[in-house]
Amino acid sequence: MNRTADYVIIGGGISGAAIGYFLLKNGAKNVVILERNYLTAGATGRCGAGIRQQWGSEMNCLLTQFSCNFFENAEEELGYPEGIEFHQGGYMLLVSNEDELAQTKKNIALQNSLGIESQLLDVNQAKVLTPILDTGNILAAAYHSKDGHLNPFKTTQAFADAFIRMGGNIYTNTAVHGLKTENGRICGVDTSQGHIATDCVINTAGGHTNIIAALVGEEIPIYAERHNILVTEPVEPILSTMVMSLSLNFYCQQVPHGSFVMGRSCTNQPRDLRVTADSSFPENMAATVVKIMPALKNIRMLRQWAGLYDMSPDKHPIYDRFPNVEGFYVAAGFSGHGFMLGPATGQIMAEQILGLEPTLPWNRLGLSRFETGEMILESSVV
Amino acid sequence: MLEKTGVPTPEQVDSIFPTEERLSQGPIAIIECFQPIPCDPCATSCPQGAIAPFMDINDLPIINNKKCNGCGICIMKCPGLAIIVLDMTYSETQALIRLPYEFSPLPQIGEIVLALDRSGAKVAEAEVIRVTKGKPPIISIAVDKALVKTLRNIRPQPSEAAILCRCSDLNTDDIREFIAQGHTTVDAIKRLSRLGMGPCQGRTCTPLIIRELATVLSKPVESFQPGTYRPVVKSIKLGELAEYTE
Ligand SMILES: Cc1cc2nc3c(=O)[nH]c(=O)nc-3n(C[C@H](O)[C@H](O)[C@H](O)COP(=O)(O)OP(=O)(O)OC[C@H]3O[C@@H](n4cnc5c(N)ncnc54)[C@H](O)[C@@H]3O)c2cc1C
Ligand code: SF4
Ligand code: SF4
Repeated sequence: MNRTADYVIIGGGISGAAIGYFLLKNGAKNVVILERNYLTAGATGRCGAGIRQQWGSEMNCLLTQFSCNFFENAEEELGYPEGIEFHQGGYMLLVSNEDELAQTKKNIALQNSLGIESQLLDVNQAKVLTPILDTGNILAAAYHSKDGHLNPFKTTQAFADAFIRMGGNIYTNTAVHGLKTENGRICGVDTSQGHIATDCVINTAGGHTNIIAALVGEEIPIYAERHNILVTEPVEPILSTMVMSLSLNFYCQQVPHGSFVMGRSCTNQPRDLRVTADSSFPENMAATVVKIMPALKNIRMLRQWAGLYDMSPDKHPIYDRFPNVEGFYVAAGFSGHGFMLGPATGQIMAEQILGLEPTLPWNRLGLSRFETGEMILESSVV
Repeated sequence: MLEKTGVPTPEQVDSIFPTEERLSQGPIAIIECFQPIPCDPCATSCPQGAIAPFMDINDLPIINNKKCNGCGICIMKCPGLAIIVLDMTYSETQALIRLPYEFSPLPQIGEIVLALDRSGAKVAEAEVIRVTKGKPPIISIAVDKALVKTLRNIRPQPSEAAILCRCSDLNTDDIREFIAQGHTTVDAIKRLSRLGMGPCQGRTCTPLIIRELATVLSKPVESFQPGTYRPVVKSIKLGELAEYTE
């Protein structure tokens, strides 16, 4: 194991892997990723991996637009011929009441102004693209054909493989349990495999971000909330689009393998980092999805699991340096859509840490926004 | 012997084996059912009434060699896969054995399969003559007449790659490729290949993949962790789940 490193990334999820890759791509050397378990053991390996550019804030639109463009070429850029299973079958956001319709129209206007070619579909058009939809439940749907979903395991592996090829080191089964500082500056990391001297640490520990921050007495305004998800047996392809509804509270997709993956927000979820399964979730999930896509009633559920959303007050990520500790950075607060932000996260953190010209307006995504009140609002999160 | 190995003794087999004379007259069922168990579908299913009605549900079947015409209906009815039909008149040198076969995929007509004895050991090769779909499917094989008392099952010719994960259809070649790419734990291979994510949740494949890892990497089996252990799955329809709400 390295005893010294120029940059130490804590967390082997999509954020850690992407930051590692973009650091090396932009000329950094001697970068290490530490993961206490295995790659994708956190939210990354538990997520729906839905990818969309249809957001209600300009910021989320820009970040996801960057990421989508990256995903489209990721196999070549990262040199991963196995493929990341990016299925651009379109993403449909169902509209089921008048308020939602008004908001959706505003969102589409915003998205179009940024070059995202989303559109409003009437129920008949929606039915053509998603034949298994029972349109009795909806008024309209927002749709963007270039959105979809991909395989989070393979995508993270693609970043990790490229990172290693470029000279990076990944240590799995290596937990961080201490951070060393000297005169307000980070100077080392204590791990279950020994000490690494470094003057730059990036905290991307997902739901565990504040546990890492607390090692040097820091805290950022996020909390970890459990979210549930389930998978069915694989069946023939019957659903190409990703389908989601804010008011009906669900998202659902059929992955290339044939399985259906679906989730929804449940009330009263623990915030104590538990990822145990909620026994009431499958019933409510099934009831929701069967009502909207009745054909799914004969498909069998295989299992459910849960992961953590790292929720920030304005549902936008936090990309910053901890104010009181030189050389200690954080990328967290992804609020349930950090997988699709992965490439943007990597690019932004590399720009911050290496002092590069910003390609994305990340100066508005720092911690100071919670003090000045310049938060960015986002309505479209399940 | 039977209780421990599932294989009857030669004496038991002889006790129910048809006479030379009867065999020379055409196909006949051979019922190798030697344990008194509460089971009687053979007796009630024979359209010829060739299997004597049971006085007690635990009776053993007794077949009337004159009445049995070798139709094979009883083969599919026997839950113990205890019945075959033997036709010694198939050709000069070969006999035809019709046996129940519960494995997938089914062999093809004309395929040369391994012919096994009652313990599952390979004894000879045999040609598949007929494949009758059903529950279970019935395979007819042509075998050397000298082996009709020995051969009772078949197996496909071994391919180079053995199946490791039945739920996700992964074989040793697939797994070796992942190991060659540097994925050397059960969890690492699982998240890239779906191994262990099907109904058995790793019950079948986990020990197999650990053995494969140990062999390829020349490390002891005990040095590998089994990965996340979850209960076996009984899948349930979303529609049934949905009915539990309200
Ligand atoms: C059910 C569910 C569905 C989701 N659906 C979507 C979706 O459709 N689209 C989308 O874009 N996003 C989705 N998300 C959100 C997305 O999964 C996350 O935002 C994203 O994966 C965050 O990645 P990360 O790398 O920042 O964190 P994580 O993937 O959580 O990675 C953090 C890593 O840090 C490691 N770690 C923690 N403590 C330590 C320590 N002390 N030492 C070393 N390592 C440590 C953990 O083991 C973990 O691997 C979903 C999330 C959940 C839970
Ligand atoms: S082979 Fe046909 S006739 Fe002979 S015992 Fe079986 S069912 Fe009866
Ligand atoms: S059905 Fe099979 S197991 Fe049952 S009594 Fe008849 S031969 Fe024996």
